[in-house]
Amino acid sequence: MQGLEMPSPDWIALAVFQALFMIGLAPLATGFTRVLRAKMHSRKGPGVLQDYRDIAKLLRRQEVAPNPSGLVFKVMPMVLIATMLLVGMALPTVTNSSPFPIAGDVITDIYLFAIFRFFFSLSGLDSGSVYAGVGSSRELTLGVLVEPILMLSIFTMALSAGTFDLGYISTYMATETWQVPGAVLLAGAACAFAVFIEMGKLPFDSAEAEQELQEGPVTEYSGSGFALVKLALGLKQLVVAQLFLALFIPFGKAAELTFSGVLMATPILLAKLFVVFLIAGVIENSVARTRFLKTYHLTWVGFGIAVLGFIFYLIGL
Amino acid sequence: MTSLDFLLLSIILYVAAACGSLLFYKQEALASKLSGVLGTCAGIAGIAASIPTLLSGEVIVKAIYSPFYFSDFVIRLDGLSAFMLMVISLLVVATSVYSISYMKEYFGKGAYAMGFFMYSFIASMVALVVCDNAFYFIVFFEMMSLASYFLVIAEQNEKSVKAGLQYFLIAHAGSVLIMIAFYILYRETGSLNFAEFAKAELTDMQASAVFLLAFFGFGAKAGIITLHGWLPQAHPAAPSHASAMMSGVMVKIGVFGIIKVSIDFLGAETAWWGYVVLAFGCVSSVLGVLYALAEHDIKRLLAYHTVENVGIILIGVGIGMIGIAHDMPILATLGLLGGLYHLLNHAVFKGLLFLGAGSVIYRVHTKDMEKMGGLAKLMPLTAIAFLIGTMAISALPPLNGFVSEWFIYQSLLTMSKEGTLAMQSAAPIAVVMLAITGALACMCFVKVFGICFSGGARSPQAAKATEVPMTMVFGTGSLAVLCIILGVGSPWIAPVISTVASTLVDTQAVTVTQGFALIPSDASQAILSTPVIVITLTALFIVPIALVAMFKGPKMASRNAGDPWACGYGYEDKMSVSAGGVTQPVRSMFKPLYTLRKRIDPAPLMAKTLAGTTNGAGSLEPQFDNKMILPVVALVQRVGRVVQNLQYGDFRAYCLYIIVALLVLLFVPLNLGVN
Repeated sequence: MQGLEMPSPDWIALAVFQALFMIGLAPLATGFTRVLRAKMHSRKGPGVLQDYRDIAKLLRRQEVAPNPSGLVFKVMPMVLIATMLLVGMALPTVTNSSPFPIAGDVITDIYLFAIFRFFFSLSGLDSGSVYAGVGSSRELTLGVLVEPILMLSIFTMALSAGTFDLGYISTYMATETWQVPGAVLLAGAACAFAVFIEMGKLPFDSAEAEQELQEGPVTEYSGSGFALVKLALGLKQLVVAQLFLALFIPFGKAAELTFSGVLMATPILLAKLFVVFLIAGVIENSVARTRFLKTYHLTWVGFGIAVLGFIFYLIGL
Repeated sequence: MTSLDFLLLSIILYVAAACGSLLFYKQEALASKLSGVLGTCAGIAGIAASIPTLLSGEVIVKAIYSPFYFSDFVIRLDGLSAFMLMVISLLVVATSVYSISYMKEYFGKGAYAMGFFMYSFIASMVALVVCDNAFYFIVFFEMMSLASYFLVIAEQNEKSVKAGLQYFLIAHAGSVLIMIAFYILYRETGSLNFAEFAKAELTDMQASAVFLLAFFGFGAKAGIITLHGWLPQAHPAAPSHASAMMSGVMVKIGVFGIIKVSIDFLGAETAWWGYVVLAFGCVSSVLGVLYALAEHDIKRLLAYHTVENVGIILIGVGIGMIGIAHDMPILATLGLLGGLYHLLNHAVFKGLLFLGAGSVIYRVHTKDMEKMGGLAKLMPLTAIAFLIGTMAISALPPLNGFVSEWFIYQSLLTMSKEGTLAMQSAAPIAVVMLAITGALACMCFVKVFGICFSGGARSPQAAKATEVPMTMVFGTGSLAVLCIILGVGSPWIAPVISTVASTLVDTQAVTVTQGFALIPSDASQAILSTPVIVITLTALFIVPIALVAMFKGPKMASRNAGDPWACGYGYEDKMSVSAGGVTQPVRSMFKPLYTLRKRIDPAPLMAKTLAGTTNGAGSLEPQFDNKMILPVVALVQRVGRVVQNLQYGDFRAYCLYIIVALLVLLFVPLNLGVN
């Protein structure tokens, strides 16, 4: 492996383009989830583009914030979008290498997610609303439960590939024979579990469930701020899904940066995303919400799988 | 001026600050101003003394006159001690300026004495890191413990005296262990000079004994878990700028000691030493942050976070030691780099957080977070600095806490990738521990900032708080700027610390930068450029701003009024979520670990032993009286009482005595020979 370097202008262009593409795609992804839910509930829901319409309308509306809210409440939507876009720039989505390796190291990405979580939950406390505050607490708790699973499964992959760089892990998975297939599969399962939780799905989180906890920290947002938060939450779902895809299903991507290669890889990526959101949606709508204080029973299982994956790596399976 | 001159100047200024404070005990305002200004100058001199050595790697050794025939007073300014000197001095500058206004709280309560103890405490720390002789090291170590003990009992109430006693006990239990370790080294080398200690040839048993003694001795000072009990009691009791120094610097003297003995003297030859350090680091980091979560007293909470961060530092040091033992210089350098970098970072952000907490307490007059709230609007400058501190300690990129943890993660990958089976399995455990620690720290500091600074005011005092004086804002603000510099400027700072680490490992410097980016010696493992991340993140803010601008439309201006939504009921301030409420899920999920807290702390046992000893002494001491003096007294008294019966004041009885006496005299003289 040759060393990583600062990206050249065309790679940066690709990075910016893919980040913007993702933010454009985010309402479609959440809209698709809504359609799927309506279908499974046997009701006629809004169309797949409904979230675009919602966001556009909200952006034109006045913002009303409660009295106690301050600066954090104000900047939170922008911080969320900026951090998720940065992760989006780093992901190797249509190419084997990361277009922006400066932020393409897994540790950096996981800590960029931490910025998201930090500001997301802090804004809940900042609004002074008790429901938002409880939502913040739950968001943070989920973080504590998910982080070890995500980190250990990714660490197993980093060890197999010998690097923390997303692009290199991706290339290793796509092009070389796996030394430890059992470990990769188990780590993949654990990572999928963690990513599923991070996407904010049932049984862990219920974005559109009971009104008092609706979307937790978002309770007090309205108008353009709310539009940005909605966009950011959708973007996060897309980004974590692609993080998983980049690590574990990196097939059908361009090895070199050529226009035709990227063009070929894009439909494959969209198909993969479709499948991921389909599976996630089906699982989400066929389970009930767990009691929050019992969630850790479930996440222990995920952590157990991640540990098993690492043990498989150690014994070389 | 040479480095040594600056060093000497710095120490003289500290002593002057201490004595000056004592001299003007009648005018406390003048005393605190004088000591604050002198302390600031001393800190600047300290920085000037450390920079040349840090940049050039030159080692300065100088013997100074010692009045004792058995020990030379040697000063040694090498990479590690210059680094420590830098850490101390940076924090001193911020805290000294801060103290100029802050000490007003303590006027009439012995502020002049606090100034004296504060600067003798700092002076002894500075002398300690540069001295190169075991005797003087112990002397300065004791001075540091003693001076800080007086700072802990500054408030003179029952709580602080109790905290002080516990601190005193653990500190001295630790120094006894250190003395034994030094004694073993002294016996083998016949000299008290550290230079000779480093050449000592010990058997494996001896070396391990020295390591364990030093590890637990210095560990008590560093506050590793099981020996951490004094931290959450002592730090809240001391004045805030003193707790910033204690938590930011003094506990690091413990880490410094561990590095000095195990790497410098013993050469870290045995691999299991490294694992011991690593294991204690992992456990300390997770339990420290977990216990912090449950606290509502802001300074106790920060004290527990010190346990956490010392844990993270020790993870780095442990990796370094394992690397040295296995002869893997790159791994060793990376681990030590992570550990030392975190040492510096922790001093900066924890100092900032303690000073920030002090500012809040200065206005609200309580340490209870439940009585704060809404301070961000009333104290905006303090709030922004504090927010930067909380982000740095939560290891959010691109601030300094992230950079050091990044290096530790990278060294763990290197260790697992290239090492033996033990190293391969130890690394992921540390990774998971670090990940949990990171997530918990994030939660804890969302709570701290959210409860103290966000939302609505939770008490009348909080509602009428105002921004603190400018000197205090300088204290917190300068450290906040430093948090950003140490994070964003990491491509320029990491090589300097890396050089310090590689001199400890005794190897060639390891490349840790490539252009503006950090690399863990090998650019194929990862690459991180904090400046580029800052620029990109800032640039990406354009996207949401542009979106909002695009859909601007004829909408009304945003409104910031009205109560938060309360499900249709009337809103009250008490409805906002409490500090306990935020952490309730985690506290219930990790319940077993919380019950551990009381069991693993040896402090109650030590206190009980001490109480037993004093009671024993108390009951032994009167035994002497009871068994020897009292019986004699009782005998004399009994005789007296019998004699007393003879004279009860009756005139007739006296007449009887006279008659009896006459009769006796009539008969007895014949026998006595009186004619």
